Amino acid sequence: MTEPLVVDGLARSFGGVPAVREVSFTVGAGEIHALCGHNGAGKSTVVKMLSGQLTPDRGRILIGGDAVRLKSRQAAQRRGIALVDQELSVVPALTVLDNLLLGDIGAPLVNRRRTAMARGRQVLDELGLARVDPDQPLATLGIGERQLVEIARALSQDARLVILDEPTATLSDVDSERVFAAVRRVASRGCSVLYVSHRLSEVLRLCDTVTVLRDGRHVDTSPAAELTVDELIVRMLGQTPHRLAARAAPDPDPARALTIDRLAVPGRLTDFSLTAQPGRIYALAGQLGSGASDVLRALAGLHPRATGTVALHERAVRFRDPVAAARAGLAFVSNDRKSEGLFLDKAIRWNLVATRLPELASAGVLRPRREQRSAQRLATVSGLAADRLGVPVATLSGGNQQKVFVGRNLLRDNVFALLLDEPTRGVDIGGRTAIHRLLRSAADAGLVVLFASTELEELLELGDVIITMRDGRTVGRYDGGVEGTVLMRDMTHGVSAA
Amino acid sequence: MTTSEVSPATSVPQRDGGRRPGPLAIVLGVAALAVLVAAVTTQRFLTLDNARAILASAAFTGITAIGATLVMIAGSVVSLAASQTATVAAMVFLATQQWGLGVAIVVALACGVALTAVQGAVIGFWTANPIVLTIAAGFAIGGLATWFSGGTPVYAKVPAFDVLNAVPLGLPLAVYVLLVITVLAQWILRRTTAGRQLYLVGENRAAARAAGLPVGRVTVLAWAFFGACIAVTGVFLASFTTSANTSLGGNLTLDAIAAVLAGGTAIAGGNGSALRTLGGAVLLSVISDVLLLRGFSTGAQILVKGVLVLAVVVTVHLRSARGRR
Amino acid sequence: MIRAFGSRPERLLPAVSLLLVAIAFAGSPLLSGKALAPFDFYNALQGFAQLGLLALALGITMIAGEFDLSVVGTYALGGMLAVQTGQSAPLLGLLVAVVAGAAIGAGQGILVARLGMPSMPVTLATYIALLGLTSTLSGGLSKTYANSAATLFVDQPIAVIFSPRSLITLAGFLAAALVLGRTRLGRELRAIGGDRRASRVAGVRVDGILIGLFTVSGTLAALGGALLSYSFASANPDPGLQPLILATVAVLLGGVSLAGGRGLPLGLLAGALSVALVAQIVAITALPDFSTQLLYAALLVVIVAIDAPGLRQMIDRLRARFHGRVS
Repeated sequence: MTEPLVVDGLARSFGGVPAVREVSFTVGAGEIHALCGHNGAGKSTVVKMLSGQLTPDRGRILIGGDAVRLKSRQAAQRRGIALVDQELSVVPALTVLDNLLLGDIGAPLVNRRRTAMARGRQVLDELGLARVDPDQPLATLGIGERQLVEIARALSQDARLVILDEPTATLSDVDSERVFAAVRRVASRGCSVLYVSHRLSEVLRLCDTVTVLRDGRHVDTSPAAELTVDELIVRMLGQTPHRLAARAAPDPDPARALTIDRLAVPGRLTDFSLTAQPGRIYALAGQLGSGASDVLRALAGLHPRATGTVALHERAVRFRDPVAAARAGLAFVSNDRKSEGLFLDKAIRWNLVATRLPELASAGVLRPRREQRSAQRLATVSGLAADRLGVPVATLSGGNQQKVFVGRNLLRDNVFALLLDEPTRGVDIGGRTAIHRLLRSAADAGLVVLFASTELEELLELGDVIITMRDGRTVGRYDGGVEGTVLMRDMTHGVSAA
Repeated sequence: MTTSEVSPATSVPQRDGGRRPGPLAIVLGVAALAVLVAAVTTQRFLTLDNARAILASAAFTGITAIGATLVMIAGSVVSLAASQTATVAAMVFLATQQWGLGVAIVVALACGVALTAVQGAVIGFWTANPIVLTIAAGFAIGGLATWFSGGTPVYAKVPAFDVLNAVPLGLPLAVYVLLVITVLAQWILRRTTAGRQLYLVGENRAAARAAGLPVGRVTVLAWAFFGACIAVTGVFLASFTTSANTSLGGNLTLDAIAAVLAGGTAIAGGNGSALRTLGGAVLLSVISDVLLLRGFSTGAQILVKGVLVLAVVVTVHLRSARGRR
Repeated sequence: MIRAFGSRPERLLPAVSLLLVAIAFAGSPLLSGKALAPFDFYNALQGFAQLGLLALALGITMIAGEFDLSVVGTYALGGMLAVQTGQSAPLLGLLVAVVAGAAIGAGQGILVARLGMPSMPVTLATYIALLGLTSTLSGGLSKTYANSAATLFVDQPIAVIFSPRSLITLAGFLAAALVLGRTRLGRELRAIGGDRRASRVAGVRVDGILIGLFTVSGTLAALGGALLSYSFASANPDPGLQPLILATVAVLLGGVSLAGGRGLPLGLLAGALSVALVAQIVAITALPDFSTQLLYAALLVVIVAIDAPGLRQMIDRLRARFHGRVS
């Protein structure tokens, strides 16, 4: 076998939870091969194993017929595997040229400036960055241009296999077209391309073959020409989820609503407006870079450059400062519970009461009994074992950690709105149901609940009102019954209603 | 050798509040080992006088170290301006003696709190780099001290500080003050809202910010307490030496940091306690004492101190890293 | 101009500071009443030699986003080792100092890179230990260096204003400039300081580079200390924090960012020269010591404040609020 890449029975789990169970596919020379799957299907884990960032538990990777063990990024580079990571991985402090050469094991030890400049100029031009000076600091470029530089880096490395993980998530359509052209050019030289994307129509347009993963398993590999977007969505989702009708709307009580007027974050979010009534759950549906998560972050005070007006319970919210936002009654649950959520080394009890300490103290002195009672009540409500409150949160499963994170904001007299970014990311099925129940009961208790998610099932299950977003703008709003495919279309190809 | 069987990681039952028993147990283990070895091999070690000497030498550094503990728990790493601040507090204390002891102490404390809290504000609200900021502050404070004192020692016109050099029950007053401050700091850390928030901010600043905790205010409070502790040290130093020149603070900065680190407080923040720091200060003092009794130079004492601190820092790091993976 | 300053501080900050200090230096006769002599230039370069290698050691680690406090300890130890082992053979003394510095640096580099420890506590503890070690070696006393031939050699004037010591220091900067500016290593070093995760993903060998970096940093600091001891004909077991502070000022004036990823060796050179010239201005005009201390402190505070992310957020917030009202 001399296929450039053969993946055979790859498997990998994290802490006993399998992320990739059994994945096999083959990529031929000069082939553009798409890897599709819904969130949690295992795409990123496969990419990480192929690029040397993770080692597989089982299975083989064959490069040019040789079974290889890719223990590091360098090992993968030496085998001719270039990568555009899901996360933007360029260094703003360096110049554009330095970024193009960064990590390229083919780059000479001593810089050959003229060669590098000429080459850099060429790859930049190919991606439509003709106006960018290679000596310009990368920090002076916008996010989209930085992404293009990273793509240029991978495409210019003379690799045998280029992996592109969500390369166009933050790009405009014009820029995306340029990327496609460059990818085709690279492929025509015989280089194989593994292309991971949520944007299904571009997948079908660009790629030769599509492999679909679901729940860490290989579902099917077929030529792109035989597929339509709808068929692809069905394969990714198993069956088409849909919502018949929204739950009955409660009496709107404008005095307790969260009103957002023309909220904007430079470069991320454009004029988002919404009046969210208490008792209902509002879902923001959008992929990475859609602005859905930025709505929540801006409300929570984490975007100091946000503009617009926000009011809660008819009082204006100073939403550029997290302390003021919290005081106004907005509680935020970020999408990254490890680095921006929980206090991992601290006990469950400490985490549960972390944001309500003043209520548990008299004159600044904590009342241990009150704290204990409060923590126990929250644990019971959130479905956590009330007798293990002294255990550090780090030892809990993802689902239980998330219960602590959400539970921390419940049953508070001075919280009127819950903002949740990906409330069930990395949570098992059981935990997911429990968290959904928590959010429903919070809404029933009269809170405004607003969450952002990329998961169709979650959006349909939980959202009374679903707002789809793409490229920082609102695409559609669905109060009644809606098909999952419609949401998916909005999120991946939608055009702003405005 | 029975001493070698003292296991540093004896399983202390896990207490609530996410306290890790490891570092403390290690320090205690090492301390126990040191004391054992010292007791066996050094004749004059186990005497009452020597115990007094150890406590007395731990007191000055200890008071500052307790304050530094709060700052380190809050995740602001350390201050490299403690010596200079103590010097200024001492000078102010001596220069205001004619107004009476109480006034002089209050003025010195206010001075220490003000100098340090300003740094805390810049660090807490603006997330300035604490190391370079405190280096600059130390430089500025030292420069100002030289300017105002004209480079000559400051003496009290009417000394009112004699009472601070009292030795009730054979121990210097500073030792009692150290104990009181330790208890106070421990109480603040364990029992007050601000103390709890210190741990949270230090453990995960981004999470604390996203949760809307008052990160800046809490940081300033820790630094203000630190400033008060430094000023108390300065007051005792001034009373002890009866005059203050610009080098009065000496090695206070590094000694205090060493004591906090030796106590097993994680430099990254979020962990630690005043009691542990007290242990660290006493431990370092015991080590110095043993080495001194056995005829080693000051250099050797500092060397051992440094190596011990490095060992504790590495151990604490390994433990916390393991806990997270 | 202001925009350019904002986007390229690693060039403009050192250039502006060196220019301002040079003007002040040229103007110092107005205060002292004596014309500048070549000797003043020589002295300024000697001051530069005293500080330069230390600043370089600190600077290259800071470019990679680390803060190596132990350089002062290595500096002191290097000086002491050179004096004690190089009485009869100065080169042997230098060699011993440099090897010791490299070993200490490598050890710390391993702790920082392999265990993923923050560099501050590691280098701080090492600094304390090194002070102790130096003091133990010398019995806590300053050691004199009796080999006057070596002392005369390192400080002999070359081309009126240079000396072997200042030339070696300049050569160090030149070598660093070549490596950082002209090789893959330089690019990777800045990348590590700028964004470590992105560097790893891009395929940079982060751990190896960090270990090498700390080794070089230790070597440079020990070499600087050794040369200084030869020049002073004595080694001081505890130089205090003063050299570290001066080196930090030099590095920050040299346009290196505290956050890492930004900085050029030639900027470092300009920063170190600025600090040396300021010292010489103070010497010429007989200003009191504390005035330089206050000047440096003020400079550091300004740099730190500008560097602080929270300040930028506050400005963004104010700007957004203002903008929101207008529209």
